Amino acid sequence: MRVVIAEDLALLRDGLARLLRDNGFDVVDAVWDGDALVHAVIREKPDVAIVDIRLPPSFRDEGVRAALELRERVPETGILVVSQYVEQAYASELLADGRGGVGYLLKDRVMDVDDFVDAVRRVGEGGTALDPEVVAQLFTRRRRADSPLDRLTPRELEVLGLMAEGRSNAGIADALTLTVGAVEKHIANILTKLRLPPSGSDHRRVLAVLTYLQQDH
Amino acid sequence: MKLVSRFFAPLWSGKTYRAAAYGLVLLALGSAAFALLIAGWTVALCFAITPLVVPLLIGLRVGVGGLATAEAATAQLIGVDVRPRISTPGTGFWSRGFATLKDGSFWRQQAHLLVGWPLALAPFCLISSAVELLTLPAWYRWDDSHDFLGFIEINSPREAVLGSLAGLLLLTLSAHLLGPWSRLAGWLARALLAGDGQLTMRSPAERRAIRVRALTIDALVSTIVVAALVVIWMLTGEGYFWPVWPMLALAFVVGIPGWVFLVLENPTVRRLALGSHALAIQVGVSAILSGFLVAVWAITTAGYFWPAWPILCLVVAVLVHAAVVRARREHRIEVLEASRAGAVSAQEAELRRIERDLHDGAQARLVALGMNLGMAEQKLKTDPEAVQALLAEARRGASEALLELRDLARGIHPPILTDRGLGPAVAALTERNPLPTSLRVDLPRRPPPAVETAAYFVVAEALANIAKHADASRIDIRIGTENGTLVAEVVDDGRGGASVAGSGLTGLRQRVEALDGRLRVTSPDGGPTNVRAELPCES
Repeated sequence: MRVVIAEDLALLRDGLARLLRDNGFDVVDAVWDGDALVHAVIREKPDVAIVDIRLPPSFRDEGVRAALELRERVPETGILVVSQYVEQAYASELLADGRGGVGYLLKDRVMDVDDFVDAVRRVGEGGTALDPEVVAQLFTRRRRADSPLDRLTPRELEVLGLMAEGRSNAGIADALTLTVGAVEKHIANILTKLRLPPSGSDHRRVLAVLTYLQQDH
Repeated sequence: MKLVSRFFAPLWSGKTYRAAAYGLVLLALGSAAFALLIAGWTVALCFAITPLVVPLLIGLRVGVGGLATAEAATAQLIGVDVRPRISTPGTGFWSRGFATLKDGSFWRQQAHLLVGWPLALAPFCLISSAVELLTLPAWYRWDDSHDFLGFIEINSPREAVLGSLAGLLLLTLSAHLLGPWSRLAGWLARALLAGDGQLTMRSPAERRAIRVRALTIDALVSTIVVAALVVIWMLTGEGYFWPVWPMLALAFVVGIPGWVFLVLENPTVRRLALGSHALAIQVGVSAILSGFLVAVWAITTAGYFWPAWPILCLVVAVLVHAAVVRARREHRIEVLEASRAGAVSAQEAELRRIERDLHDGAQARLVALGMNLGMAEQKLKTDPEAVQALLAEARRGASEALLELRDLARGIHPPILTDRGLGPAVAALTERNPLPTSLRVDLPRRPPPAVETAAYFVVAEALANIAKHADASRIDIRIGTENGTLVAEVVDDGRGGASVAGSGLTGLRQRVEALDGRLRVTSPDGGPTNVRAELPCES
């Protein structure tokens, strides 16, 4: 899988490149600002671009802007935005076009190498990877007054959270030490309770759940 | 059958009765308003050339505002939710008077009070006629006169019953008409009673253009009126030059807004008046008033110089005001010095807190992490299993250190505030907050960073306090600008009883005051609690 990295701190940029190479990725370019990222992605058309939010010159939300631009110009490249902090607002912007191939993670998640690599791969394959903290924010937002989420059992809420993070059924089963069959049953229950249509593909179902969580009541 | 029941439907619809009740209230309040306006304006005009006019105007404003509020409250009967302004804000004596006269909502409320009465009269007449017709048999039976509504003569019980049927028909028709009537009344109430929003927005350039236009129109109309009067005077035989009186009055009427305009636009005039708008306006108005009185004296007898007394009063009033302005300026300098000292110590305390957090949190965790890694290195060859456990622990430690650093950074300066500004940053705060929260942000441009940060932390602290103590069920946040001042307001419906002194708001108050702003907390026992920060955006 071919990867482009945009990160302004050399220490992190090189570390990330080494980590990905060790795990069988092909890091085709590593750049340090938003413009260079856009050029590199248009030139290389990688499977995934990993983008830090704070990039030169303004050190504000350059990364998000570059990511949104790339979503339009190179739709086939998945974008994984990483940052020292997460804001649900940015997640909503990244997910706004309703397509997969997008992720938003805290940089901390790099430390769990297997999980991180899995997330990069998912985004590259057109799936999603949302940080648990973003998912928690989406839940708080939804859980104010009598929300349908109140009808879910604690276990179903756990499953919904992992689903919103973008994990596959097998991944959810792994994380909760359940059988895949049990996970599928939980998911069917959740979709019924939230009145969401059942859908064949994992990715499309995740997007439906995310759209649901982002709606205002 | 269906048609019949549909025809009579409005008779047992709650809507009809609510509209009728609203009409009755309009009728009553309209009568009261009529009396108030006649009396109020007569008295105010009688005192128009004395300073007494200002309290009279303000009193009239409050009366009109009160009646308008009563009308708006009853307008909820017809499903209209408007909140009229009750008073006109303004600082200083004269500027409050002028602000009242310039206040569009004041005039619109008067218009509604006057229009409401005839508006309510129409359905009232219809309904009362219908009721009288409906009860004709009773009148016929127990009352001796056989003449109803002035022109219908009833001579037999049969005619009385027929009249009663006609009354039912008329009543139903009126009930049908009450639907469109209440829509019309609702439209009027929305158009005339709605406040201009608590936070009004107009750029200085727009305000200036409006003032210039008003003044030009005043001057033009006055000139035309004077010219017309002089022509009339010439055509009618050129006797005593009576147009001097209207000329004098119009010069007075144009002169005062002209002076106000000059003061608002001219920094030199303000500098001469110790930097106070109000004082400069008062000096000018007093001068124009004195000139007016002297002119009246000159035109009339020119005998005993009676204007000396009112002029003396005006001079004393100006001197008192000047003394007050000077004292206030000195007080402000003291407050500034105190708040700067407060800000410095607040910053000092904040830095100490950050140092402590770093020392006890992230630093300690990194030490532990290093220790774990060292031990892992030692055991690498002898005990690979232990190494795995140590490494897992090290990774957890690194995660926790990062989490703490992130929270610390957010507490110093939230990244989204720099990236996107106050609105999105506060929106992100409300997302993290589990209570239902409404947020209204109305900022035409980004305020200075220090103001943004202070406003953000006021809202953040208020939300934290609400979560901790208030036991509230909903929160309203409003952020906007009023006359170049950023206003951030957080209102909750909790149990109240909060104070600035006993909470984390003390440090924030120092922060707000260092920017020459104000932080106010009103929180009666039983709620609601209102935290309001006012931060000047222009220096």
